[in-house]
Amino acid sequence: MSIEIRRVTKQFGDFAALKNIDLTVNTGELVALLGPSGSGKTTLLRIMAGLETPDSGEILFHGENATDRSVRDRHVGFVFQHYALFKHMTVFENVAFGLRVRPRSNRPSNEEIRAKVHSLLQLVQLDRMESNYPSQLSGGQRQRVALARALAVEPKMLLLDEPFGALDAKIRQELRLWLRRLHDELHITSVFVTHDQEEALEVADRIVVMNEGRIEQVGTPEEVYDHPVNPFVYHFLGNVNLFHSRVGEGRVKIGPLEIDAPEHAAAQDTPAVAYVRPHDIEIERHKNGQPAIAALIQHIQSVGPVVRLQLNRQDTGQMIEAELSKERYRELGLKAGEVVFIKPRHWTVYQGEGI
Amino acid sequence: MFAPSGLKIAESVPLNRARTEPAVVRWLLIATALLFLGFFLLTPLIVIFAEALQKGFALYLESFKDPEAWAAIRLTLLTAAIAVPLNLVFGVAAAWAIAKFNFVGKNVLTTLIDLPFAVSPVISGMIFVLLFGMQGWLGPWLQEHEIKIIFAVPGIVLATIFVTFPFVARELIPLMQAQGTEEEEAAIVLGASGWQTFFRITVPNIKWGLLYGVILCNARAMGEFGAVSVVSGHIRGLTNTMPLHVEILYNEYNFVAAFAVASLLALLALVTLAAKRFVEWKSHQPSVGQR
Repeated sequence: MSIEIRRVTKQFGDFAALKNIDLTVNTGELVALLGPSGSGKTTLLRIMAGLETPDSGEILFHGENATDRSVRDRHVGFVFQHYALFKHMTVFENVAFGLRVRPRSNRPSNEEIRAKVHSLLQLVQLDRMESNYPSQLSGGQRQRVALARALAVEPKMLLLDEPFGALDAKIRQELRLWLRRLHDELHITSVFVTHDQEEALEVADRIVVMNEGRIEQVGTPEEVYDHPVNPFVYHFLGNVNLFHSRVGEGRVKIGPLEIDAPEHAAAQDTPAVAYVRPHDIEIERHKNGQPAIAALIQHIQSVGPVVRLQLNRQDTGQMIEAELSKERYRELGLKAGEVVFIKPRHWTVYQGEGI
Repeated sequence: MFAPSGLKIAESVPLNRARTEPAVVRWLLIATALLFLGFFLLTPLIVIFAEALQKGFALYLESFKDPEAWAAIRLTLLTAAIAVPLNLVFGVAAAWAIAKFNFVGKNVLTTLIDLPFAVSPVISGMIFVLLFGMQGWLGPWLQEHEIKIIFAVPGIVLATIFVTFPFVARELIPLMQAQGTEEEEAAIVLGASGWQTFFRITVPNIKWGLLYGVILCNARAMGEFGAVSVVSGHIRGLTNTMPLHVEILYNEYNFVAAFAVASLLALLALVTLAAKRFVEWKSHQPSVGQR
């Protein structure tokens, strides 16, 4: 089922949580709402579920206006950030709850409920835990029970609020991949909220980047990562180096370097900032006759496949982060305290002072 | 598997000499507390039973054969039987509204719930006399329709409800606020109706707090003197509750009977304490279902 959000706004007292949001989630898609806390992503998710009412605007499910449809009649599966499992019920009863509260006329029989719950618990790999209580489960297990419970009512869409927020790094990683596989199996329209860009980039089909109640950019992980539309998105999707400068006639001067910025061809000596990702910084031992920025290696972190360098620009004293592969690192034979020459491989230039 | 209760932690940690007061100070404090407790709490309790039984057990039992004593006991039970369930419903509704919703006038409601604790019970009784008494605001209308509230059972019940109103609500508000609304939201998203959510999710989560509030409410409903005294009129066999009956007997120098009825109230207090202790123990015990 597709979800369409049209011109939705929401105000909490003086705080504008959502400002004129337009968004379409296509059938079978897995979409991430990504943003810092206070960006309105959870509010938007709760409005989709009907747990909050928008001040204005419309919500359409499958093309039908569902703005005033009650929570019960929306048939959504919602997974809460802190799971919200029913403490006084066993895992089995938690998952069965949505079936047991149905009106008698379309309530499945006890055997049907049993079969359904068992198949769901198998799906989330918890079939041996059915008579345990939530307090006896680990965080990751609770999360999976919450998911099974949401799926039990065969929802038309699945909404997840910071689904991995409260778990430790290793389990997060596992559950993330598991959720992606589950989605590929069930093809249920899903929206999840996260503040972790890695999570969004890794799991989602499309990412909705939000900030201060607005949508900054919508796109596939590649689109938002490689072509961020503004400095905020650039910042939020990963580490970045800022080179403050001025742009004129499509050229930006960074120290001894000059880089192209054809999109700013009309600008005349305007303040601008060039954004460069750490892995887009090229490092050479020698200038090779070309202009490059001299920088001092301050610190090397060489654990894992990627080596991270902290460099200090010799001309301005600015700190620069760079990443390179282990092979390249060995080839160059870098050591802390040495001076190297750097230049950006890819960059994006925005006018203004940057953020 | 289960976290030990706070009490057990305190017991199992050996006294840290460096951080505790010298023995003399500790014993002095404990002795003071015990003396105080003994003098003000234990002695009166002993006196009640000693006085009640001073002329023998036979005479003690004889006191309860008095029809007026029986009437007082029955009236007290009736009053509690009406006041406690009503306050249970009011209390849950008020706590639910305050803990789970935001609305205009929420602070006013929270303050109003405490009102019966803030005013003297005698004043509470007076309010009902001023409202429903012969010279009261509604007096003439009530008289016209031959409805008797003051100096009758309805007045006693009303005064008792008023005085015992805060117990259940006060017990539940912090509990429900701490629990938040997530489980209820989860139930509604799963398709549960309001009633299903209330009985299957909310009630199991608050049951011990609820029982605790009911026990305290019941103890006060049976023991209330001031407010009931004002509206009762002290008509023997008709509008005397147990506490009022004790006073009358005592004023007539009928000490054995007075203390005999008083001993019943004292027993109720002991049972209440035991029940309260049990509920506290039960609710703090992390039963399988609780975190």
